[in-house]
Order: sequence, then C-alpha cells, then structure tokens
Amino acid sequence: MSGTDRLEINTADVWPEDADEDEGVVTNWFTSEGSQVEEGDTLCEIQVEKVSVDVSAPAAGTLSEIVRDEDDEFERGDILAVLEVA
Amino acid sequence: MAQQDSAQAIDRELTMSRAMVEAIADEMRADEEVFYMGEDVADYGGIFDSTQGLLEEFGHDRIMDVPISETAYIGAAVGAAQAGMRPIAELMFVDFFGVGMDQIYNQMAKNTYMSGASVNVPMVLTTAVGGTYNDAAQHSQTLYGTFAHLPGMKVVVPSTAYDAKGLMHNAIRDDDPVVYMFHKRLMGIGWMPAPDGPKTPVPEEEYTIPFGSADVKREGEDVTVVTLGLHVHRAIEAAEDLAEDGIDAEVVDLRTLVPLDTETILESVAKTGRLVVVDEDYRSYGVTSEIVARVAEEDLASLEAVSRLAVPDVPIPYARPLENEVIPATEDIKDAVRSIGS
Amino acid sequence: MVQASKLQTMFTDMVTARYYEERLQEEYLEGKQPAFDISAGPIPGELHLAAGHEASATGVCQHLRDDDTVTAPHRPHHIAIAKGVDLNRMTAEIFGRETGLSKGKGGHMHLFDPEVNFACSGIIAEGCPPAVGAGLAAKKRNEDSVAVAFIGEGAVSQGAFLESLNLASVQDLPVVFVIEDNDWAISMPKDRVTDVADASQRAGGFDMPGERVDSDDATAVYDAAKEAVGRARDGNGPTLLEVQVHRRMGHFMGDPESYRPEEDSAAAKNRDSIERLASELRAAGIEDEEIDELRENAHDRVDSAIEWAKDQPQPDPEDAYGDVFVGPESGVTTTETTHELAGDTRAGGDD
Ligand SMILES: Cc1ncc(C[n+]2csc(CCOP(=O)(O)OP(=O)(O)O)c2C)c(N)n1
Repeated sequence: MSGTDRLEINTADVWPEDADEDEGVVTNWFTSEGSQVEEGDTLCEIQVEKVSVDVSAPAAGTLSEIVRDEDDEFERGDILAVLEVA
Repeated sequence: MAQQDSAQAIDRELTMSRAMVEAIADEMRADEEVFYMGEDVADYGGIFDSTQGLLEEFGHDRIMDVPISETAYIGAAVGAAQAGMRPIAELMFVDFFGVGMDQIYNQMAKNTYMSGASVNVPMVLTTAVGGTYNDAAQHSQTLYGTFAHLPGMKVVVPSTAYDAKGLMHNAIRDDDPVVYMFHKRLMGIGWMPAPDGPKTPVPEEEYTIPFGSADVKREGEDVTVVTLGLHVHRAIEAAEDLAEDGIDAEVVDLRTLVPLDTETILESVAKTGRLVVVDEDYRSYGVTSEIVARVAEEDLASLEAVSRLAVPDVPIPYARPLENEVIPATEDIKDAVRSIGS
Repeated sequence: MVQASKLQTMFTDMVTARYYEERLQEEYLEGKQPAFDISAGPIPGELHLAAGHEASATGVCQHLRDDDTVTAPHRPHHIAIAKGVDLNRMTAEIFGRETGLSKGKGGHMHLFDPEVNFACSGIIAEGCPPAVGAGLAAKKRNEDSVAVAFIGEGAVSQGAFLESLNLASVQDLPVVFVIEDNDWAISMPKDRVTDVADASQRAGGFDMPGERVDSDDATAVYDAAKEAVGRARDGNGPTLLEVQVHRRMGHFMGDPESYRPEEDSAAAKNRDSIERLASELRAAGIEDEEIDELRENAHDRVDSAIEWAKDQPQPDPEDAYGDVFVGPESGVTTTETTHELAGDTRAGGDD
C-alpha cells in the first residue's frame, strides 16, 4: 500500500524494566479495530507481574488489527496490535 | 442510554477508574481549591486505582496521603469545605466508615441544616464498596442504605465509565456534600477483572450528569428490575438470558440514591406491572424496601407483583461458596424475575 | 541471658512463621499467573504476609499463657503461631474450609481461637479496645492474666489506639501494646504520616512506660517484653512497646510495590532476624544439626497443616445463614408475662 506504513506494536518495547517474568496479560483495550488514533493515545493496558503498563500509540493512524484481545496472555516480544500509520 | 447525540460517535473507551480520574483531573486543573486526601492515594494511586496518575500532575500538596486517622482527615475535609475549598476525601473501603462516622453524619451531613444553611459543605467523600472477591465481613460491604438513610448527603453510585465521569464532575461542583461510592469490581483493575459493561466510550470533554436521574440501561415490557452499581451488569446479563425465554425485562440503574428518581421507576412499573429490586446491601431497612415502599405509596394500583433480592441480613462471609450464597448472582435475578411471573 | 531452651522455642516459632508465609505465598499464587486475578487460586481474598515480623511476636508471646489475651491486626499469622493458635484449623480457615477456626466465615484477617484467647480485626487499631477490655475483665476478677494488642506503626495515629492507651493507663489495666514498626503502612512511609519517629514516645502523653526495641532481635524483644508483661501481671499497669521489624514482601499479595525504593526492599531482606537468632543458638552451644532439625520439624509441621487444610471440605452454602447470634433471636424467653399497669390501655377490659 502506498502512503501508509504498517507499525507493529510489540510488547517487548513496553515491558516493565524490573520485571523478571516473561509472560503478561492484556487487561484493557481502550480502542477498537478500525479506530483512528492520535500519537500518544492510550491504546491498551497490559499487566506483567502485577505491574500495569499503559501502551500508547507511537504514531497517529488507524488501528488495523488487534492481535491480543482483552484477557489474552502473551510473551515478551509478542505483537499486541498493528497500526497503519497515516 | 442517556448520552447526548453527537455528530461523531465516540469510540475511545475508558475503564470506570480512568473516567473518574479524568473528571477529577479536569476539576483540579480548573479550580486550585480542589484537592484530594486519602490513604495511599498519592504514590500508590489508590488501592483501587481511584487516583492513578494524579500525583505526577498535581504533586503531594494536592494529592495528599494522610495518616490512618479517618476521623481527623474526613473531619479536616469538612472544615476545609466550610472554609470554602472543595476537598475530596477518600475512605479506602466504605467498611471503615465506623472509624470516622461522626465527622460524616453529625458534621458533614448536618452542619448545613443546623446552621440554617448559613454554612455549606462542598466536599466529596469517595469510597470503594462491594464484595465478590472474598474479602470477608469487614471489607466487602456496600452500605448504600446506611448513607442514603441519613439526611444531608447526596449519594452517588455509578455503574459505567460514562456515568462515573459525568457524576464526578457534578459531585465536585456541587455546593453540598456528596458521597461517591464506586464498586471495586467495576473499576477495571488488572487484578480484579470487571464484567463486560462498565468500560464504555467516554467523551474527552467534560460533562455533567444531574443527580436524581435514573438511567434505563435496558428497555423492556414485562418486568422492571431496579438496581445499582455492580448489579446493573448482573441484571442486564440476566435480562439477556430471560429474553431468550421470551421475558422482556427493563433494567433501571438508579445512579443516585439521594436524590432518588422515583419518577423513572414509577413510569417503568406503570408499563410492566412487575417490580424486582436488586441490591448488594443488606436486605432489611435498606434500598430494596425503600424502592418498593415508594412504588406502593405512589402507584399501588400498577403493582401486580414484587420481589426483592439483597444480602440476607448476615455479615459477608469469607469462603467462596458462602459469599456466593449471600451476594445476589445473575441466576438469582433470573429466578426472582421468574418467581413473580410475567 | 535468655535460656537455651527459650532460644530454641523462639527459633521454632520464627522458622515456622517464616516458612508458613512462604508456603502460603506459593499456594496463593497458584492459578494467579501470569494474570493476577484476586478471585483465582486456592486461597480466597486478600493476603497480608508477615515475613520479617517474626521476632516481635515470638519475643512477646514467650511470656504469655493460654489465658492471656492477644489481639492481632490484618497481618496476624506470625502472632497466631507464637500464641499457639491451632495451626491446622487456622490454615483451613485461610483456605476457606468448613473445619477452619471460623468455619470459613472469617478468613485470614479474622482469625479467632478462644482456646488460646486469640482474636483479630482487619480494621486498623480496632483490636486495641477489646484488649483493654480483656485487661479490665482480668482486673475486675482479680486474675493475673494480661492482654496484648499488636498493631502496625500505621495504627499509632488512630483514635482507637490513643484512646485505648489512655483508658488502660487511667484504670491501671494489665495491657501491653506492641507496635510492629515495619516502616511502611502500605505505600506510606512513617515520616510522611507522623512527626514522631519513635512511637513508644506516645506513652509519655498518657503517663505510662514506653520502650522501643530498635532492631528485630528476638532476644532483645524477649527482654523488653518480659518487663512489660511482668509489670502488667503484677498489677502495675500498661506498657507501650515498639519493635522494629521488616517487611520482606509486599503489603499484600499482588502489591507491585512501585512506591518502594529498591534499596529499601533489599535492606529488609538482608536484615534477617532468623539468622541472627541462629547465631545466638550456636553461641549458646547448640549444634548446627540440632538447628537444622528444629527447622525441618517446623517445615514439616507447616507442610502437613497446609496439606490437611487443602483436604478439608468447602462449607455448605446454607451455613452462610447461621452464627449471626449464638442464642435464640427472641432472647432468653419466648413468652411475655402480663402485668397489670396503672393506666395501661392494652389491659382495658372491654374486648
Ligand atoms: C481504619 C482502617 N483504615 C484503613 C485500612 C486499610 N489498611 C489496611 S492495612 C493498612 C496499613 C497498615 O499499616 P501498619 O499499621 O503499619 O501495618 P502493616 O500493614 O505495615 O503491617 C491500611 C491503611 C484499614 N484496614 N482500616
């Protein structure tokens, strides 16, 4: 596709620094597939070792795919969602 | 839902805690006189996320951790409010009200009246309520009826993020004391997963929801289910199941107990003739009796059948099978609806 | 010098309590990973573990008899163990089982064992007034039993605590108040909530003796408590004791402790009162094998209590309705005698 970039939102980029655990869970999504988001908007909240982390949009665009749904578990390095950058 | 029509549908969703916090932050930005006091509200961000993120923006002067001295800091909120500020004081669990109750019901709630309204108390008392996670008798109550029974304070019980935000704006701006009771299970906390329902789209801009306006969360023709807090969602779930059996239940979310929107309840009962009241507080002398009494007084003729469902006058037990027995479940709501026919 | 046999008993209490908390932590986390859902796993509800607090409970309870009363706060396990609460039934209670101390109604913050006069309250400082009441009963009956109220340092700004100090003092009651100072009240460090670093100073305002044991050293606690409990037992009134302890775990299970500096957690873990007592045992001539054996026996006792508890039946839902009162609802009678009262309209004779 011309004019858009696919940006994968990777759990490794938001992993809490002092967590020893390599697994986490998605606690809340605040946007739905197909939504327009601004850079910095909170997309979802994940929990790793009882620590909650907000995942925000790295750029403006359209949330084209949610890969890990609410309550889904994931490992470090898994993709949470895909953003089509405007 | 009582939401405004807007050109573009809002798709940003928030958990109930985030919606509350958004309203508090907005009010704090707009008015220097608004501040928040409570235990573990600063660095922790509230045990139930009620103040998550506020410390970073407002600092320890306005998001104040206080000693474990409920009488002193709730009373201090009363005093600061009477001095014209707009404090928000948080009682970590409503169950701890006993420790500071004099300040709540003899001072906060009565000073306006006793002074012939020459004094007023513009404060909000926020507090976490509810069970369903086995925290036993001293940490699981809702006590809705206790606060609503005593005159002089408004009592707010949100069930969704949308309502939580609009009601919080209205609470902080109110010139009178407001008790804002949020159910732990609805907050959207990672370690206490919420049911489907409380997380809703929430506008970014501020808005107020008037007190005393119940919200029909589901329309139906056959039976009226009046409830509040967590049980709004259990009632909706029950209604969806009942719909499969051809029973069409209307679910009325009270949203505030003081003032109480009797009108909306009466309209619904006039339509359905059947009333089920569901409450997570104790059964006797409480919300369920009050609602039934009001309908009976105002429109006995419409009332064909009544049932009420609440905690059966025992303290909340600890073990799972025991707690599940006493807190009304979705199944219990369905049974109550069926028991009064349709 | 504390006798070697006492040192051994204290060591046993401490390793029992420590291992108990470690095992409960494991059990509690069962089914809570990676998603920490408070409603999952074999142990219901919240769980406040006391690893790092052991020296205070054992040092004090060495001086207590079964007829002495102890009230504990929301973090009660180590105190219950030192007081001699039935470990099997306490564990069954924590797992919410029918044979638990309270048939599954109370849970971990609300342990009651009348056999050894042990009770709890999950409301901060609210165990203090009932301890004063136990002291009052002993005094009225001319008995030499005493009462001990354990609280955390977070409770020292609470009315129930301060009012209790005053009442116990003015009535010369046999009560010892023990503050377990672990530096934290959930996320609130002491210096943010009181200007008085040494809470035993609160005693002065009530004209009662106050003492602080500055390190969680079981024998130092033992010595201080000996004097305090002795004073109470001899009818010489209450004492306020503060003991420095350490919080090795979160406030409750699931506490991310994001508010707590890494160095503070590390320091708490390094200050090990159990190792300290073990070296005292060695100095008293007790062989390493014997120390290991004490430890192993304690671990076995804990493991078997947990195993037993997990085997116990869940309570029957119908049991939720019982135990609100012990007697009949109507009181001691079900009938009402009639009395002729002057001007009593009910008695009027025309019906
Ligand atoms: C009256 C009351 N207020 C607040 C709480 C919530 N709470 C439970 S434990 C705790 C902190 C207690 O700290 P501390 O007394 O130092 O004991 P620790 O937990 O550190 O052992 C708080 C605020 C409560 N249980 N009761």
